Amino acid sequence: MIAEALSPATLAATAAGSVVGLVFGAIPGLTFSMALALMMPFTFGMAPVPAIAMLFAVYSGGMTGGAVSAVLLGIPGTPSSAATVFDGYQLARRGEASLALGAAVIASAFGGLFSLLVMMLLVEQVASFAIRFGPAEIFALVLFGLSTICGLAERSMLRGLIAGVLGLMVMTIGLDEIDGVPRLTFGTVQLQQGVNMLVAMIGLFAVPQVITTFLERRATLSPWPGEVTAEFPWRRLRGYWWLMLRSSTIGTIVGAIPGTGGPIAAFLAYDHARRFSARPEAYGTGELGGIVAPESANNAVMGGALIPMLSLGIPGDPATAVILGGLLIHGLQPGPLFVQSNASLVYALYLTIVVSWVIILLVQIWGIRLFVRVLRVPPHVLGVCILVLCAIGSYAIRNAVFDVYLMAIIGVLGYLLQRLRIPLAPVVLGLVLGPTLEQQYRTALILSEGSHRIFFESPFAVTFFALTAAIVGWQIWSSTRRRPRTR
Amino acid sequence: MRLGAALVLIALAWLWLVRTEIPDAGAGWPGPRGFPQLLGVVLAVLGVWMMAAGLGGSAARVDERTRPTYTGELPVAAGTLGVLVLYAFLLERAGFLIATPLVIVLAMAGLLRLRRWLPIVSLAAGFTFGCWIIFEALGTPLPRGSWIGW
Repeated sequence: MIAEALSPATLAATAAGSVVGLVFGAIPGLTFSMALALMMPFTFGMAPVPAIAMLFAVYSGGMTGGAVSAVLLGIPGTPSSAATVFDGYQLARRGEASLALGAAVIASAFGGLFSLLVMMLLVEQVASFAIRFGPAEIFALVLFGLSTICGLAERSMLRGLIAGVLGLMVMTIGLDEIDGVPRLTFGTVQLQQGVNMLVAMIGLFAVPQVITTFLERRATLSPWPGEVTAEFPWRRLRGYWWLMLRSSTIGTIVGAIPGTGGPIAAFLAYDHARRFSARPEAYGTGELGGIVAPESANNAVMGGALIPMLSLGIPGDPATAVILGGLLIHGLQPGPLFVQSNASLVYALYLTIVVSWVIILLVQIWGIRLFVRVLRVPPHVLGVCILVLCAIGSYAIRNAVFDVYLMAIIGVLGYLLQRLRIPLAPVVLGLVLGPTLEQQYRTALILSEGSHRIFFESPFAVTFFALTAAIVGWQIWSSTRRRPRTR
Repeated sequence: MRLGAALVLIALAWLWLVRTEIPDAGAGWPGPRGFPQLLGVVLAVLGVWMMAAGLGGSAARVDERTRPTYTGELPVAAGTLGVLVLYAFLLERAGFLIATPLVIVLAMAGLLRLRRWLPIVSLAAGFTFGCWIIFEALGTPLPRGSWIGW
C-alpha cells in the first residue's frame, strides 16, 4: 500500500487534485466543496488509494487557494480565508503581496501537516474528546468565538456590536432549519435558501473596495505602489513559528468538533493572535500574524475534521462529507475499527496528504511570481475586472442570478456601513457564526426540553462561558482605561 | 445621534417584520421567531446607546469629522450598484458572453470616464474570453441567457 501511495498514478492524481483545488479555492465563488463534488466522478474508475488521494488533495489545495484572492483582490476565495483579507489585502496594497502570499502558503502547509501529525498520533484521544461536544458545548464555543467582535471592533466597541448584530440578522433570513418555517422571505423562493455566506462576503469585502478605488481614480490618487516585488523574504517569518503552532492547535481542535469548520477556526485564531500580540493595534493594517494565524488554523481544520470522519464515520463539514462519500463508493466504511483494520491503507493515505502538501507548497511558491503580476494592472482596471468576478463568482455558487442582485445590494450596504464608520469585520463574524449559534442553542433546548440548565451542566460549556465573560469584561475595562488618555 | 435614531427605526421595522412575516411554530420560546426577535431588541438597545453617546458628544462625532471625503461619492456608489444590477439583468437574458464585454465597456466609459476605446474593447473581449475558458474548463457553466442561448 505504501508503494501504491508513491506510484505514478497516485502522484499524478494527487498533483491534479492539488492544482484543481488551488484553482477552485483561488477563484471567488468556486469553493473546494464544489471542486470535490466535480472531481468525484473521475475517481469512480480509480483504485482506492489514488482516488481518495485525489479528493484529499483537492481539499488541501482548495483550503490554501482561498488566500490567493484574499490577499490579491481583497475577496475571500473561500469563507475560511475571510479573516486573511484583513491583513493580507493591506500588505498587498503596501506592495508586499509576495510576503503575504508566501506567509499564507507556509502557514497553510504547517497547519495541514501539524493536524495530520495529530491525526496519526492521537486519533482515538481527539475523537473521544470531540464526541463529548454536544449542542450546548458548541453553542458555548461559538459564543466564545462571537466575543472576538470586541477585538475586531476597531475604535468603537459600540459600533462593533452593531455590526455583529447586523451580520447575525442577515443570517436569520431563509428557511428555518429546525422548524422548516420561512423567515423574512416575503414569499420568494430564492430567499428560502437564505443569504449565502460567501455571496455576502464577496459583496461586503469587494464592492466597498471597488467603489473606493473608483473614487480614488476620480480624485487622481494612486493607492497602489508603483512596484510590486516578487521576492519572498523568508526571514520575516522567523518570529511566527510559535504562533503557527498555537493556531494549528486551535484549528485541529475546532476541526475535530462536528458542525464547526474552517471559518470559525480562522476567526478564533486571528483573535488569539491579535490578543496575545505585542502590537495588537497593528492587526488589520498589514500585520503578518494576521495572515499566519488564520491560514494555519483553517488548514489544520482538515486533519481535525478527518479524525471524527475516519474514526467515527461523522463528517465535520460539507467537504469531509463528500470525501466520506468517496470512501463509501470505494467500499471503505469509516468507523471505530476503520484505522485498525485498514492500517496500511490509512497510512498510505496519510502519505498522500504529505505529498499533496509538498506539491501545493511548490506550486504556490513558484506561482507567487505569477500571481503578484495581477497587482501591476492599474487599480481602476482591476476594479472593473473584480466587479465582473464578484458577479460571476456569486452566480457560480448556486447557479442563481438572484445571488448577483443580492451581492450587489449587500456590497453597497457594506460601503454605506463603512462610510458610517461601522466596521465590516464583525458583520462577517456574525455571518460566519450566526447560523451555528442559533441552531446549536435551539437544539440544546430541544434536547433539554426547554431547560437552560443544559448549558451549565457541561464543564466545557461553563469554561467557554467563563472565557467569554472574561474577554468581554477585559475589553470593557481596557476601553474605559484608554478613554481618559485619548481625551 | 442620527445614526442611533436610524438604528432604532430599523430595529422597530425589523421587529414588526418578524412579527408579521415569521409564522409562530407554537413550540414555545425560542422557536423560529425567538432569535430574530432577540436581535431586533439588541439592535434597538444599541441604537439608544448610540443616541445617548451622541448627546454626550463622544467619539462618534470625531469619527464623522475625520473620515476622508471624495467628490461625486453618491454617483459613483449608485453607478456601481447600477452596473452590477444591469449585469445581473443581462446575464439572465443575454448570457455571459454578451453581457460581460458590454458591462466592462460601460463601467470603463461611464464610471471611470475613460475614452481610449481600443484598450477598453481589447480588455473587455480578452477578460470575457479568459473567464469563459476557465469556467468552462472547470465544468462550471456560466449563464447562457434566454434571448440567444450562447
